Amino acid sequence: MKRTFRRWIAIPSVRALLALALVVMIGSIYNADGAFFRWSTHRDMLRQVSTYGILASGMTLVIITGGIDLAVGSVLGLCAVLFAQLSLHQGLPALVAVAVVLAAGAASGLVSGTLVTRFKIQPFVATLAMMVLARGLAKWLSGGQKISRVIQQPDGNFSYVDLPPVFRLLDSRLLGGDLAAVTLIFFGCLAISWVVLAKLRYGRYLYATGGNEEAARLSGVPVVRAKLLAYGLSGLFGAIAGICQAAQEQQGDPEAGISYELTAIAIAVIGGNSLQGGRGSIGLTLLGALMIGYLEKILSLNAVGESSRLMLTGIIIIAAVLLQRRKPG
Amino acid sequence: MYKPIIALTLAAAMVGTLAAAAPRHGPKWIIGMSQCNLGEPWRVQMNADIRKTAEAHPEIEVVFKDAQNDTLMQRSQIEEFISSGVDLLIVSPKEAAPLTPPIAEAFRQGIPVIVLDRRVLGSDFTEFIGADNRKIGRYAGEWMVRRLAQLPAVKAGGRARMVELKGLMTSTPGQDRSAGFREALKGQPVDIIFEADMKWLEPEARREMESALAVYKQIDLVYAHNDPGAHGAYLAAQAAGRLRDIIFVGIDALPQEGQVYVRQGLLEASFEYPTGGREAVENALKVLQGESVPKEVTLKSRVFTRDNITKGGEWLP
Repeated sequence: MKRTFRRWIAIPSVRALLALALVVMIGSIYNADGAFFRWSTHRDMLRQVSTYGILASGMTLVIITGGIDLAVGSVLGLCAVLFAQLSLHQGLPALVAVAVVLAAGAASGLVSGTLVTRFKIQPFVATLAMMVLARGLAKWLSGGQKISRVIQQPDGNFSYVDLPPVFRLLDSRLLGGDLAAVTLIFFGCLAISWVVLAKLRYGRYLYATGGNEEAARLSGVPVVRAKLLAYGLSGLFGAIAGICQAAQEQQGDPEAGISYELTAIAIAVIGGNSLQGGRGSIGLTLLGALMIGYLEKILSLNAVGESSRLMLTGIIIIAAVLLQRRKPG
Repeated sequence: MYKPIIALTLAAAMVGTLAAAAPRHGPKWIIGMSQCNLGEPWRVQMNADIRKTAEAHPEIEVVFKDAQNDTLMQRSQIEEFISSGVDLLIVSPKEAAPLTPPIAEAFRQGIPVIVLDRRVLGSDFTEFIGADNRKIGRYAGEWMVRRLAQLPAVKAGGRARMVELKGLMTSTPGQDRSAGFREALKGQPVDIIFEADMKWLEPEARREMESALAVYKQIDLVYAHNDPGAHGAYLAAQAAGRLRDIIFVGIDALPQEGQVYVRQGLLEASFEYPTGGREAVENALKVLQGESVPKEVTLKSRVFTRDNITKGGEWLP
């Protein structure tokens, strides 16, 4: 009996589920006059964590290869600005704007990937540089202002653009108000990453690269292409997150997404993915997203002060990671 | 093989960018403008106001530096202005204590200094121009009390229930806008049932408002310390289908932001927080031409409501 329990508890997803159960239990105790038990709370929590979750879906792929992508927050901002520019100010049709923005995100991810593979720059440094570069591009493209439905004319007056239907669609609630559209997109991104990791040959290449890159290369694994895929998808998901952010804010904010990459990394790691690479799964990322989402929600519902919020979040992240640590042997 | 070429190209690019950015002396007066950050639209507006006013005066040239909200970077940028010998310094400091010494140094070296929006300590500057956040908070509070008194529940003797979405409470504007508003609420039939620090950010405000909506079935009014915050709260209430019962109030009233929200009916009121950019350049010109200016200028502010938005708002006392 004890041995089965030990084998059971050794499974990462079980540990993650237990940690999640712990967070939910805390929420049930500190339920803010029952607010925690209302469906709207859970629906809102899912909506709020979706942007981070989309980034985390891509981040997981990169982490599994043993790398990191610090640029995703800036790519989000850049793509939010680009999407707002194309849809609101240039009036391009939704499909065109979305296609261009997705391409931009993927391109930026591929640049990061090229810096890492071709120029052999460490992922931390390469994506740090991209983070700064992309943020600068976002500010330059937008002239430092938020790109909104208000357009300033040369004579100083303002004209207003109608909100394009794609914005309304992305910010809408589906299934009779029970699920936010962005949550569905988050699940879609999780699904894409899951297919790559679990079903495609390239998924195995990603794990092999992260596990032991030299051995993988010597065994004929296309390490360079695997990494490019991971960073490219990470950039693509950054673009998806940027489009969702712009739709929800009804504007393109060049400051959007600042430090979102840290939350994305936290989500992947709290779920149980290892920063060293070679291990992990998308299921763990989903559990990590739910943990972080519920944690933030509980603190927000209970109107916990800013300083306490930060300290508690730090402590709980440490606790969650320690609880899930693999015991040696 | 590529390395020397890449290195040379990067070096050339750096030299080129620096040369283009350096202030040029000539027949013009050079004014250095040290801005603590350009992350807030309000500060982007301040720089835009300065730029627009300066454009009408060919005898001055303004060089802008952005400290990206880093105190030490702002200190170095002020020191750079001193050593490049600007004719006048306009500065909007991030915080008072660490930036007082470099500003005082500029002043003592004979460079006139105009301090905008946030104060420094002591009196080693030519002029301070700013609006009074505490007063604006108080006017906002008084307006809200009057508005809430019109609600049937309050008329019948009940108390109004409101939410305060605060700006970064480690910054003086946040502290002042909250303190002033609470002064106005003393002894009034209004309860603040939910408050949270949304750090001036719209997505944060939306998140906090969603929590408020989840916990409280009845909210009469939402007071956000800035218009983006009020907008975020509005979107949250819209998604929850509770727009009809809630009044939204914000501060800043930028023409392309808060005033638009009032015009479109999202906010019932927005209180102007003037940037002072125009006044800074006008007074800078006076100083450069040898005239004297007052040590303290308190900017007046307007309230924009649905009734007066077409008339350009209403000046507060």
